[in-house]
Amino acid sequence: MRGTTAMTDSSLHFDRRKLLKAAALTPFAGLALSGCGAKPADSAAANKTVTVTSYGGSYNDQLTQTILDPFSKQSGIQTTLLANTSLAALKAQVQSGDVQWDLVEITAPEYETAVAEGLLEPFDYDIISDKGLPGYAKAEYGIKYLSFLFVMAWDQKAIPDAQAPKDWAQFFDQGKYDTKRSVYNQLSDSSVLEAALLADGVPFDQIYPLDVDRALRVLGHHPGKDRLLYHAANQEPIQQLTSGEVSLSTSFNNRINAARNDGAKLNFSAENAVLAGDYFVVPKGAKNKEAAFKLMNFMSNDAEAGAAFDTVTNLTLANTPALSKLPKEVADTLPTSPRLADKILVRDDKWWSENLKKTEQQFKLWQAS
Amino acid sequence: MSNATLQRARPEGRAPAPEQEKPRRRRTTWWLLLAPILAFDVVLFLSPLGKLVGSSFTGNAYQRVLEDPLVVRSLINTLSISLASTIVTVVLGYVIALVLWRSGTVTRVILFAVVLLPFWTGILVKNFAWAVLLQDNGIVNSFLQTVGLTDAPIELLHNRLAVIIGMVHCLLPYAVFPIFSSLTSIDDRLALAARSLGAKEASIFRRITLPLSTPGISAAGLLVFIISTGFFITPVVMGGPGDMMIANQIDYYARQLTDFSGAAALAVILTVLVSILVAIYQRVLKAGGQHADN
Repeated sequence: MRGTTAMTDSSLHFDRRKLLKAAALTPFAGLALSGCGAKPADSAAANKTVTVTSYGGSYNDQLTQTILDPFSKQSGIQTTLLANTSLAALKAQVQSGDVQWDLVEITAPEYETAVAEGLLEPFDYDIISDKGLPGYAKAEYGIKYLSFLFVMAWDQKAIPDAQAPKDWAQFFDQGKYDTKRSVYNQLSDSSVLEAALLADGVPFDQIYPLDVDRALRVLGHHPGKDRLLYHAANQEPIQQLTSGEVSLSTSFNNRINAARNDGAKLNFSAENAVLAGDYFVVPKGAKNKEAAFKLMNFMSNDAEAGAAFDTVTNLTLANTPALSKLPKEVADTLPTSPRLADKILVRDDKWWSENLKKTEQQFKLWQAS
Repeated sequence: MSNATLQRARPEGRAPAPEQEKPRRRRTTWWLLLAPILAFDVVLFLSPLGKLVGSSFTGNAYQRVLEDPLVVRSLINTLSISLASTIVTVVLGYVIALVLWRSGTVTRVILFAVVLLPFWTGILVKNFAWAVLLQDNGIVNSFLQTVGLTDAPIELLHNRLAVIIGMVHCLLPYAVFPIFSSLTSIDDRLALAARSLGAKEASIFRRITLPLSTPGISAAGLLVFIISTGFFITPVVMGGPGDMMIANQIDYYARQLTDFSGAAALAVILTVLVSILVAIYQRVLKAGGQHADN
């Protein structure tokens, strides 16, 4: 600054003009740099890191603590866990050729869509040992790594456990509970239509193919459209229940458990739950594909990490060696526990992958009308 | 408002060029001043917009979205919610601007702060604050029940009214300032003259203040309406499933259905629809203005 004031008048103007031109051209320079600078640096650092995306909230902390941190320690590969997973973002990244994510969690119907649209890298089972994988988990373009329960949950302050709903018919019964019910506003991850049919007395083995019209008719009577509140994220029902906005909600077993561990007065019932799963996939063109496969290998075969994950989350990781390490009281509460097998409905991924878009549209239209 | 900025920008742009400069060189400098914003617009706005329009014409996207009853519904929602919010916002904004214009310095500073504070607060924060106030066990409902006006909570949240309340709160500053600036440009002597001729306050307002502040009202109306059509968070947080606006529909197409060309088509439809409405609005205004001059 002081230097500038010491200059003569004419050189001051000259400088200002140069500055102006430089300033005017700066955006172009930035563009040129961004075009060519990135690539060499990337390939040098490839597979030293892996970027994983999931749904966020308490689950991401548990995943980091039980799987990602031990993996980093063992392999030296740094992991980054993001909370904003979505098939749309995966598709946008693949289509634009700028893939930022390496390992992406998506729902089972989304997996089928992604395969059909050619968005995924085939899994390399030379890197991933399939010894630890249960039969249902191994797929060509991904691993159905996680099984969870879609459950009915309640606020214990408003509904003590003794008066809690025993089945979906009671859950939706407006005469029994005069409260709003919160349900997920989408169907890719949630099974509210199945719940409605169960409430109407359809047995487990006759739920699929899903009678969507009947399910919506049931929801329209019990609890009625104006008694339904919709949530759009997994952590939302926890807030709605703890704030007293609703006393009943659909949720997932691990979310309620995590909230209970944090002191929330919530509970859920595993009976009449719906067993569903999520996939981990690798987007086509992922920069750290091999690191992602190494992580999948660790996740599917490391007994210690798997057992820690199952214990902390109450979810079943697709990792059979882990099961033998679990104490019985934990094993019995897992979604895939044989103790529950005849008390829960298994979600039909095939039906959903064929009918998701159509049914999703119909559900939205029903909500809006 | 943009006119004023342009007029002001011109002399400032010329000012640094000293007297002895040749006019030819002066012109190059002037062009360079525009270059950054031009580059910015072309690279970051026009080219993605072009891509978006291009992708909207692939795979029968227009036919697909216009056959979707949800799309038609959310288009109607967008227009009716925006119209209602605009009317409420402009009326409330006019009242606030009028009070601001007529009040003393201290009141004016306080009122300005009250108007500006929500302007500086994030929309998510504002909407969640409203949700906390309006929910079944929220402050408003517990107050009504304590006072004994109602027995059971009344539905204040997750409906059309809540969406409009939330939007008006966000939009108010956009209406207050154009109206206030048109009020301050009214010559005070007009009111004095009218009063000296025996006019009552009501007739001064009706025959002087209101007509002379119409440019502010129409500018505010236009601005508020255009902003309204793009609302996304408020219908999600405060509306029910029946209050989906077009931005929510675009999000649904892109994120849930992963139908990018459909989402692009929706964006183009919204842009064209709003542009047509704005053109009609300005034509009507112009016709109205000429009428007043005659």
